[in-house]
Parts: sequence; C-alpha cells; structure tokens
Amino acid sequence: MVETNKGRLLEIAVVGEVVHSVVEPSYMTNWDSTPTVGLGRGGIVYNVKPGDPCFGWAWGEKVEPGISADGTGGDGEKNSFRSFSCVGNEVKIVEGEAKGEVGVLVGKVGYLPEGGHHLVLHFNDQTLEKLTIGDKVQVKTCGVGLEFKDYPGVRAVGLSPRLLDTMGLGEKKGRLTVPVAKVIPPEYVGQGSGGSPAESNNWDVMTQSPDAVEALKDLKLGDIVCLKDILTAWGRGYYEGAVTVGVVSCGASSRMGQGIGVTTIMTCEGGEIEPVLEPHANISKYLGLGSA
Amino acid sequence: MRRLLRDNRDKLLEIAVQGEIVSPSSRGYRAQWDGRPKMPLGMGGIKYNLKVGDLCFGWASGDHVEPGVTIRGKEKKNPSDCALAHLACIGNEAAVVNGEAKGAKGVFTGRHAGSDDIVHFDQETLEKLAIGDKVQVKAVGVGLRLLDYPDIRLNKCSPRLLDSLGLKEKDSKLVAPAVKEVPSFLMGSGIGFSPVTEPVDYDIQTTDPKAVEKYGLETLRLGDVVCLKDQLCINGRGYYKGAVTIGVIVHGASDFSGHGPGVNPILSTREGRLGYEIVEKANIADWWGLK
Repeated sequence: MVETNKGRLLEIAVVGEVVHSVVEPSYMTNWDSTPTVGLGRGGIVYNVKPGDPCFGWAWGEKVEPGISADGTGGDGEKNSFRSFSCVGNEVKIVEGEAKGEVGVLVGKVGYLPEGGHHLVLHFNDQTLEKLTIGDKVQVKTCGVGLEFKDYPGVRAVGLSPRLLDTMGLGEKKGRLTVPVAKVIPPEYVGQGSGGSPAESNNWDVMTQSPDAVEALKDLKLGDIVCLKDILTAWGRGYYEGAVTVGVVSCGASSRMGQGIGVTTIMTCEGGEIEPVLEPHANISKYLGLGSA
Repeated sequence: MRRLLRDNRDKLLEIAVQGEIVSPSSRGYRAQWDGRPKMPLGMGGIKYNLKVGDLCFGWASGDHVEPGVTIRGKEKKNPSDCALAHLACIGNEAAVVNGEAKGAKGVFTGRHAGSDDIVHFDQETLEKLAIGDKVQVKAVGVGLRLLDYPDIRLNKCSPRLLDSLGLKEKDSKLVAPAVKEVPSFLMGSGIGFSPVTEPVDYDIQTTDPKAVEKYGLETLRLGDVVCLKDQLCINGRGYYKGAVTIGVIVHGASDFSGHGPGVNPILSTREGRLGYEIVEKANIADWWGLK
C-alpha cells in the first residue's frame, strides 16, 4: 500500500459552465498548408468517450470526449476551476434539466483560442441528452497537495485520491511503479512546454511526423501514458531522467507542434517513478466509465 | 563555378511598420524549474549594456534577456497581431521617428513571441532614447523565396540576412552556416503555439544543466545562427523527422521550465534540400558590425 497524506487534503467547490465547441473564425491551417474545419474541441460531444481512439475522427481536431466546461467569473475564479480540480474528482450539475446528475473529471485541455481552457467531464448518456450549453457544473476538488510519504521526489499534479487508488501503483526496489499504456519519447512532446502552473493546461504529443503517428496510432482517450525525460513539477519542460505520467485528454491534431493532449497527474525529476507497460491502463477502466 | 543563388527580391514590397519602446513589466517572483523563486530581468525596455552579439547566459537575475531596445506594435490590443510582428524581418532598417533621438538609424534583430520586437541602436542613440519613443521599421522580406529551392520556407529573413548567411550549394543542397546543432527534444516554449510562423519565436530549453553542457549551449550568443534538427517551421513550429530549420537567436537563456534562448526560424524544409555546416562564428552582430 502506497502511503499518502490523503486524509489532510482539502475538499473545495469550484464552479463553471458547459462551453460551446471551439471554432475558428476562418479555415484552420494544417501543418501541411491544407485548410480544414477542426471539429470536436469541447462543448458537448455526444459520441466520443474515454476509451475511444485518438485518431480517425472526420475532420477531428483535438477531440475532447463528452462534456467540456470552463470556469466562470474573473481570472482568479477561472484559475481556481482550472488548477484546483483533479482528474477523478466528482462533478455535479447544479443548474438545468440535468440538475443533480453526477459525473467525473477525466482531463484538462488548455491553450485554446482566446485563452480558453476546458475541463473534460464524463457523464452517462442519459445525462448527456439532458445537458445544454451554459449549464452550471460544480467540481468537488480534492488532490492539490497530495504527497507520497515514502517518495518525496514524486510530485502529484492534479491527481485525485480516487484515481490514485485505482491506478494499480506498486513499489519495486525503492521506486514507485505506475502502469502506463505507452512510453513516449521527449522529441514527440510539443505544445505545453514552458507553460505553468503544472496543474492546469496540458502537454501535446505531436502528431504530424509519420514516425510519431505510427508510434501513437493505437492510443486511446483516457490512456495513462508516460512522457520520458519530461518534468512537470513547477512548469513544463525537458529534463533528462525525469518522468511525467498523464492521462490522454484529447485526440490528435493537424496543427504543427500540437497533438494528443496529456493531462499531467504525476512527475519526478530523478526517476523515482518506474513506468510499467500495461495496454489497458485507461481511466475508463479505472473509474468504471463503461467503455474501453 | 558557383551558380548565383536566385531569389525574388526585386518583387518584395517595402512597407513601413511601427512600434513603441515599452517599459519592462514585473509580476514579482515566478517559480523556476526547480521551484525556487526568481524575479526575472531583461525583457522589455531599453537595455543599455546588453547588445546583440553578447552571451545568452550569465546575466544576473536575467531571463529571456532581449538585447538593445524592445518595441511593440500598438495599433491592435495584442502586439502579436500588429503589422510590426508579422512583417519586420531580421536585418531590416529601423529609425527613431520622434523624441530626442529622432532620425537615428538601427536594425531589427528579431521577435520574442508574445510581445516583444527587438531593435539594435548604437550606444549614443540608446542614451537619447526614452520609453514611449516611436520606432519605424522599413519591413522587407515577407514573401522572399529562393527560386531554385521552392520547398524552403523563408521566415523573417531580409535580403540583407540572406546575403550575410553566405549560403552554399553542395550536392543539390543548400548549406547554411550554424554555430550549434540543437536536438529536437530541446525545443520548448512556443512550439505548437499558433499556425502562423512569422510573429513567434521558440525556445531552446536550457533548464537541464546536463543538456546545456552536453550540447555546448553556454557559449551561445544573441544573434547566433543555429540549426534545429527534425524541426519544421512552415505553418507554425514542431517536430518532423528529417526536417531542418535554421534560425537566429533573439533572446537569452531562462530558468523557467521549458524556456531558454529564443529562436526565430529563418529557413525551414522537410524535403531534405537544406543542409548545414557547423562553424565557429555565424552571428548577425559580427556580420553587420553591431556594437
């Protein structure tokens, strides 16, 4: 049993609303100079769920499964919604026809046009049909400040105790083992670099170079992945020997330097985390979301 | 006998774009990559003792240091949307248009993503300049093409810079000089950010001391020409195996995760027709006598 300080974590409500899907004012320019309409960046996406593929959606661009919401109010309130919330936190609809329905936070996607940032939320199909754009959602945040008692070099980032308990963490020769669906080399890791705080936004795993596409083609939304030599402790960047573990939060991209979104949940500078390949390491399985 | 490199410079439009010298700004402390706090210096304003040609590393509390004078387009809310950000090219002539230094000439040396356009003036002019003074750049270079290398995308490259590079043709490839080759995994902040190439630089990450030493980055100078391996900068910036990008260093090193010396891409292709040769010196300050 991996010991943590989860009994000391504060539980705090933050509020936001279901957003419109992001569209560009004109055609999007793909990496290869072709134009497209990029579909699926948030809003209510009825037919994509964690466990579904990252690639292959018709004109899909960084497709976010299910519901996307952003904070409301001023920058401070928005930032609390974006940063205090953790993957695996409970989300409740507090206004609208679906009032009272409960879902779960499955990822974060940032760097959207005009400073947009989405929490990616999973609700069951019945609730999806009732939800409307603008409905108010409240997240019971819990996880910021999570520490591993025997692994002080491991930093939990936006990780809820609920997800932590289901991830099958183990211990081996003084290292924390984490099942991951894929280990991704640092040359594929793009947008997100230089961003902070680590708790909000995401990394992008670039999907333009044919070798990267081949290596990533079987990735699924919700997969737990390891970014090798990437440190996401007090910002995002390259650090030889570091490890970042994250959840795949959105699909592939046709824009240069962008791609599959990875929401950080754990990181370490000195290799205290040991990734263990497990093809079914997916939050859909861990959180019982009904697919994958 | 060496063939003359053909381009379309006689068809380039020359257009005035304008910016204003901006004050530095500060938001107090910011967390460095290792969690320690830092008050970063060197972005914005007038830097009296830092010029293109100086080192990227080592300035006390310096971070993303921008040599010389920092100006910003003002006709739109976001400086990155202004004409200055899109049209000014490295090597373009700049002139002060008001204030005590009115009429003084300088050189546009690059653009730091987000906000800052960087201009070199001599010391005498620097002493006369005031924050708020206007600087106009005679922008020429957007649309520049090499007629025999249509796949190579030029960006922020003035005809003057193109000439100074001294590109050579060897085995059907165009060979550019570079002081360093940078592996793709070190390319950080700015990557993926916007599909428009012109207004954005991106950073060679210098927060991993092992990487800085391994790739000899501590000797990098502002204004150096470098090669970015497996990086493609045609519509934005990102990884593409086999691509080559040549760029100019526009600002200094950083202690923030994912950040470091900034690069304005000037030549880029994925077609394999752009090569590079590592040389001891390739710097715009040396070429143009900027002091």
